[in-house]
Amino acid sequence: MSSPPMPAVRVTGLRKSFRAADAAVEAVSGIDLTVAAGEIFGLLGPNGAGKTTTLRILTTLLPADAGDAYVAGEDVRRAPGQVRRRIGYVGQLGGADKEATGRENLMLAGRLYGLSAADTRRRCAELTEVFDLDALADRAVRTYSGGQRRRLEVALGIMHRPRVLFLDEPTTGLDPQNRANLWEQLRLLRDGGTTVFLTTHYLDEADQLCDRVAIVDHGRVIALGSPDELKQRYSADSIAVTPEAGADVLDAVARELADAPFITGAVVEAGPSGHGTIRLTATDATRAMAAVFGALASRGVPTRAASVARPSLDDVFLRETGRSLRDAGSSTAGAEVTAGAAEEVAA
Amino acid sequence: MTALAPFTLQTGLFFRRKLLETLRQPVWIITGLTTPVLYLALFAPLLRSLAGGPAFPPGRVLDVFVPGVMVLIAFGAGMGAGWPIIWELDSGVIERLRVTPASRLALLLGTVLRDIVMFALPGVVVIAIGAAFGYHVRWGGLALLFLLLALLTAACSATSSALGLNLKQIGSLAAVVTGAQLPLTLLAGVLLPLSLGPTWLRVLGHVNPMYYAVQAARSLAAGTVATATVGVGFLVMAAIAALSVWWGTRAYQRAMT
Repeated sequence: MSSPPMPAVRVTGLRKSFRAADAAVEAVSGIDLTVAAGEIFGLLGPNGAGKTTTLRILTTLLPADAGDAYVAGEDVRRAPGQVRRRIGYVGQLGGADKEATGRENLMLAGRLYGLSAADTRRRCAELTEVFDLDALADRAVRTYSGGQRRRLEVALGIMHRPRVLFLDEPTTGLDPQNRANLWEQLRLLRDGGTTVFLTTHYLDEADQLCDRVAIVDHGRVIALGSPDELKQRYSADSIAVTPEAGADVLDAVARELADAPFITGAVVEAGPSGHGTIRLTATDATRAMAAVFGALASRGVPTRAASVARPSLDDVFLRETGRSLRDAGSSTAGAEVTAGAAEEVAA
Repeated sequence: MTALAPFTLQTGLFFRRKLLETLRQPVWIITGLTTPVLYLALFAPLLRSLAGGPAFPPGRVLDVFVPGVMVLIAFGAGMGAGWPIIWELDSGVIERLRVTPASRLALLLGTVLRDIVMFALPGVVVIAIGAAFGYHVRWGGLALLFLLLALLTAACSATSSALGLNLKQIGSLAAVVTGAQLPLTLLAGVLLPLSLGPTWLRVLGHVNPMYYAVQAARSLAAGTVATATVGVGFLVMAAIAALSVWWGTRAYQRAMT
């Protein structure tokens, strides 16, 4: 095909309300987003932000109240069966049959998608090797550790080589090593052409794993872009330099630097022992550092200490919502999952 | 992209999965066999003294009692379906299967077929033991009896599945199933025929679908096949089986934790 590549996920005006005890609660309030084929895309937000509800709509588990959603080119509402053939899903609950063996789980998944028994066995052998499950494959899943089970669940989600793999909070409850291991597996999948769409409430996961991130809060996308773009667009690097010089020199340097286009703010802070600190905010930390060292060197002033703080996605969230993502949502934790219970679901 | 497994293959895969689930829990198989045998061993002797009375023609106690026990086996085999389904909801198995293109009807039928097997096996044992103690086997009627009660098992299995998927909690499911069990079985005349009771009891029995299964089962066990009782029994069972399977399939379409 010569037409531009089809997006893996395209969502416009998506809305979903749940009937709570006395009132309708809008979990998704008009989400728009497009995910390119072959990227790792993350929905980042606090609990109750609408991440899981959005994921459930995209995976055909829940019907939307309004809006359009296309996954792998198919309409989620009109052609759920076509969508289901093209996607894999790893839910928060995991979904492996705990009493069955890993191999039984994998074989059933492969056969359901229409792989022949021989193809399913081959694919099963391939995945148990990739996910380091060979030694466990014939043991009941209930005997697996948390990390082993998560690896099996991801393997279950990709038995049929889906175009888009959806994962709901995939690393919750994993130790750092298993977490890093899973990130690596997801990157390999992405490199193999699979689109990976995940939800997370971990800042570092969104920052380090995802190619692009949509930050969501109260059912809306409040920021969308690559982690670097977002951090640059919404907040700045901050630099602190403490030279061996008096306040008059510092003031002069700060005034000079404030004119630079890549520096957005420059202030002088009095230090405890007479050594003041110049604090800069900058859109480009590297150039700002060079400029401040240049300005000090031209005056022959040595530097006692210097530091750079990179912005985090939490700064973005803070800037948009006035809350920190680390604290947000703890009061509404779990609401999203229970809200799903009473709801209408498409066939 | 892969082609989808045909419906029959899907049903077979889910049936196999459910059979393995049962085989991993031999306790269920053992109680499935011992309960009806205990009825025969410990309850049937009490009926001997009633022989010759209004409900039991002389020498035919087991001919009346064995079909009743068969109905109990069918009810028990089907009504157990909901428990493991709640575990599957809790562990996300059903959610995962709902994201596959698998047919929801196939998903339900896997359970229903397993439960029919779990009715038929102890059913055969009970017939064999009953025959050893004087139950008269009439082959034509017996084959139809198994067919009729397979429909009852299917109805119970699909109903229990739908209840499990909708109630989502073991406690609620247990309350509903055990709460319904006693009135349903008593008002069907499973252990003692309702014809022994007063008019109001017999009238109540007529609103219970299981009553028609028991009546038809007794007729079939007695070898009288071409009767209105048998026809009505099959019609009622086919109707409630179809209704329950529809309900169960719908419950799978909407199942959420």
